[in-house]
Amino acid sequence: MREMTFINAIREAIEQEMRADESVFVVGQDVRGGVYPHTLDLIDEFGPDRIVDTPIAETAMHGVAFGSALLGYRPIVDFMFASTALTAFTETSVMSGQQYFLHGSKHPAPLVMTGAWGVGKRTANDHAMPIHGYYMRAPGLKVCSPSTPHDAKGLFTAAIRDNNPVMIPWCTGIMMLKGDVPEESYEIPIDKASIKRTGDDVTVLANSEQLQFALKVADKLEGEIDVEIIDPISFAPIDIETILQSLEKTNRLVVVDEDWESGGFAATVSAQVMEQGFDLLDAPVTRVTLPNMPIPGGYMEDYIRPNPKKIEAAIRAVCA
Amino acid sequence: MAKDYVMPKLAMAMNEGTVTEWLIEEGAQVNKGDIIASIETEKTAYDLESPESGLFHIISPAGETVDCGTLIGKFAEDEAEFATLQQEQPAPTIAPVAEPTLADAAPQAAAPAVATQPAAVVATQPGGRVIASPLARKLASDRNLTLTLISGTGPGGRIVKRDILAAETSGVGRAAPAMSAGGRIEKARIAVKGPRKTIAERMTQSLQSTAQLSSFWESDITNLLAMRKKYVAREDQLGTRVSVNTFIAKAIVYGIRQVPIANACMEGDEIVIFDNINLGFAVSMPGQTEYDTTLLVPVLHNIENLGLVELDIRIKELVERVRDGRFTDDDLSGSTITLSTTAGLAPPGHRSTPVLNLPNAMLIGPSTSVEKPVVVDGQVVPRMLLPVSATFDHRVLDGDPAVRFMSAVHDALENPELLMA
Amino acid sequence: MSLTKKQMVTLYTNLVRADKFGKMMYSRMMQGKLIGFYHPADGAIAPGVGACSFLNNDDILFPHHRGHGITHMLSKGIDVSPYIAEHAGKATGCCRGRAAWHYAFPEHNVYGTTAYIGHNFVPVTGFGWAAKRNGTEQVVMNCFGDGAMGTGRAHEGLLMSSIWDLPIVHLCENNGYAIFAEASEMHPTEDMATVAQGLDIPSVLVDGQDVFAVAEAVNAAVDSARKGQGPTFIEAKTLRFKEHDIGNRDLRGYKPRPQEEYDEMAKRDPVNLATDRILADKILTQNKIDKIHDEADQEVEAAVKFADDSPIESPTEEELLADVYAPR
Repeated sequence: MREMTFINAIREAIEQEMRADESVFVVGQDVRGGVYPHTLDLIDEFGPDRIVDTPIAETAMHGVAFGSALLGYRPIVDFMFASTALTAFTETSVMSGQQYFLHGSKHPAPLVMTGAWGVGKRTANDHAMPIHGYYMRAPGLKVCSPSTPHDAKGLFTAAIRDNNPVMIPWCTGIMMLKGDVPEESYEIPIDKASIKRTGDDVTVLANSEQLQFALKVADKLEGEIDVEIIDPISFAPIDIETILQSLEKTNRLVVVDEDWESGGFAATVSAQVMEQGFDLLDAPVTRVTLPNMPIPGGYMEDYIRPNPKKIEAAIRAVCA
Repeated sequence: MAKDYVMPKLAMAMNEGTVTEWLIEEGAQVNKGDIIASIETEKTAYDLESPESGLFHIISPAGETVDCGTLIGKFAEDEAEFATLQQEQPAPTIAPVAEPTLADAAPQAAAPAVATQPAAVVATQPGGRVIASPLARKLASDRNLTLTLISGTGPGGRIVKRDILAAETSGVGRAAPAMSAGGRIEKARIAVKGPRKTIAERMTQSLQSTAQLSSFWESDITNLLAMRKKYVAREDQLGTRVSVNTFIAKAIVYGIRQVPIANACMEGDEIVIFDNINLGFAVSMPGQTEYDTTLLVPVLHNIENLGLVELDIRIKELVERVRDGRFTDDDLSGSTITLSTTAGLAPPGHRSTPVLNLPNAMLIGPSTSVEKPVVVDGQVVPRMLLPVSATFDHRVLDGDPAVRFMSAVHDALENPELLMA
Repeated sequence: MSLTKKQMVTLYTNLVRADKFGKMMYSRMMQGKLIGFYHPADGAIAPGVGACSFLNNDDILFPHHRGHGITHMLSKGIDVSPYIAEHAGKATGCCRGRAAWHYAFPEHNVYGTTAYIGHNFVPVTGFGWAAKRNGTEQVVMNCFGDGAMGTGRAHEGLLMSSIWDLPIVHLCENNGYAIFAEASEMHPTEDMATVAQGLDIPSVLVDGQDVFAVAEAVNAAVDSARKGQGPTFIEAKTLRFKEHDIGNRDLRGYKPRPQEEYDEMAKRDPVNLATDRILADKILTQNKIDKIHDEADQEVEAAVKFADDSPIESPTEEELLADVYAPR
């Protein structure tokens, strides 16, 4: 099994799907040159008709994807930084999400939307902010994000093959994370959570770079507290079954989400667990999230971000 | 056939109730119509009449809030049935702590599972709600365990799963035992802090730092009561229902006029006799639990020139403020003499040796009056006699002025027209 | 004039049908039988007819919201009965009654509309890109009003169609009004076309009350697009006889439109103008004209009946949820 970085695993997914299916193409700003490695040099193999640069116009950029998706293509629109998708929020959420259902569920609009995000590089709000909290509320969209190189290739492949609009942002914090990635083409389920570590005492949900932090904390607590770690992977729909099943065993839940506290995944899953698994809880659900403030640049960022210390404190509190 | 007893719905708007106190014991023979429990609803308190007769088995412990219609007890027809009921669901408490026969023997459990009875080291909110995780509640309910018996080891004393499991293996007990040495079973533990601590210290200090002693007498208040009746008849006009206590306060003022040294205190190596009269007025208030109380002595300043009605109004207003918690530091300080009554609470004719309220040198303690045969003009007639116990500090005043003061008070009580002098 | 006689008859027929469908929709709205809004195209039907009458089935159409695309779609040869049913919320509607009036006919290459003015440029850009990539001479007919020209999306869409030579005909049906605000107040120039010219897109101005003139201009633009020569901007100057949407006031700015305006507009009724032209050029006899009108009436009646006879769906929440995502 060979090792690969997270970002190159994404590249391989795109590359292999574009080889397998003529209708797949990438559109975005400067994707030919490749600001990030996941589209780097793809133009050499696939040409400018399938690696398409656009002017800086997120709405029309999305329009290229959306319109051609309705005509049978399978586009990947790369917003470069996830937060710029918000300049085309109506298009990416409302227009994309409602197309299939509101028109009688007859004609799908398969498109993949992606962009980079991640707190921790001191770049402040615009380049760092998470968007999965905003988009998971858009009915009709699937929203997911991978946390390991293996999952990155499998999830992007699944997203490209899915017949719905999929928002799949990727985290810069794990861009260079190395891991085993199979050479052949494969998918992982687009709407299922993945158990990354089994344990008996407490269930911890964590995604993207936070998954790595949680794994570190679990190793540290070995022998003292037995931590089960689940990567939710899918934010819409939420795989609540896997989480509830885990709670049958542990009765304690910590939700780590590198997103603002208000609304979003941590709040939604807490409410769902409370509704559907009330009697399983031996302690209140504890969330580790960003406080509700614009993400500051510079060193101030370090204070607000979920990190191993905060995760450990939450685990201890819930196990008290 | 055992009969259920549920939390009654006493009003349209009532949704839940709390048994604040069971007024009968587990297993007591109850007759229909007996008052068996005090409850509190969202609005008020009620005493509940028993709807049935039988041997009563308590299910809902005192302090737990339940919805209307929830089973809180059962009536057994006979001992056998009662034993069965106890087997099904052991009662929250067995024999009361006061019974001496249980002190040596291991507690006789009608239901074997009820081996040790814990004190309530249970996290409760005001209103009696037990704090337990949803999981713990479900486990307890599945296993028929009563949460108020179980001690919580979670954060804030929350009952969590491990506590239920521990309770299960050790019988209806708790994770940590609280059986005191000598076979005594705790009913409650009250921290001696705050007001309780203050009272404890002050009382001890008063008894240890003075030369106080108590005297008793009886005053015929038949005439006083007749006079009072006239005031009571004009209640609306006067704006208050004049109390006997107010008459007694006025009698104290009269007494001090005759014997000023009764209104004095010891300061360092000087006796200070005061010109104005600030009356300390002992008020009993609820304590930390249903068992204990708190004592406050608010002070009504400058009563020497107040008329009966005005004095009555002010006393009542002060007491109300204190009970509501709306009192200031001034309200609690500066007394020169204290009135501490147990009338209505103590048994008729009750006498005692009340403890001086330092730094006062004199305290008047009337109690429950009693009708007795008295010789008046050679005839034996029934009269209302008020027992009064008075404590004074012999360092400040000797027996001579002390009893002269008491006589003056007695005189005014028996001849209430003197109160207008 | 490059139109054949046959083409002129087709145009005239479609115009009459559009007129009658439009009047029917207006009266149905007043009867409370339509769901949602209706934006009447009275006086403004010629551009849609001229633009769509000669499109192929695989050409992609984004209709203008005025007239709810009925004009455009029936001209393109689409049976609009399912749309009339859709607009009544019926299960037999083209979108199973779930679209309100934002219909789609994917099999006829109509993919939906939008409430957001100017957003038409977004998917249209994608349609154009895909059409070009397909290489089968498909053309995109992008219809919108003067109001859309105020949006940034119009700029972006026009720009992209220009840099990539996309096969799009941008048809601006300029009736001089947004809802109440006049185009003259909301645009710096009299012609919307100046924006397109600034983006290097060939532009044409045409009389939007003359269905034949519109058709000629469109045919040329479509031809050009099919040949890979890129987009054309056609500005049809047209009129709005009635209010923006039924139930709204009909204001100019913020004062009622004066009677003189209505009188002047009435002189340029597109159906009258077309009838006069057809008769003058001896394309059709009066008899034939009457027949066209009658057949159009019957067509409208049939569509109405179909809509009225159709049931309303009553799915459970679970059934609706199951329809949200497309399966693999």
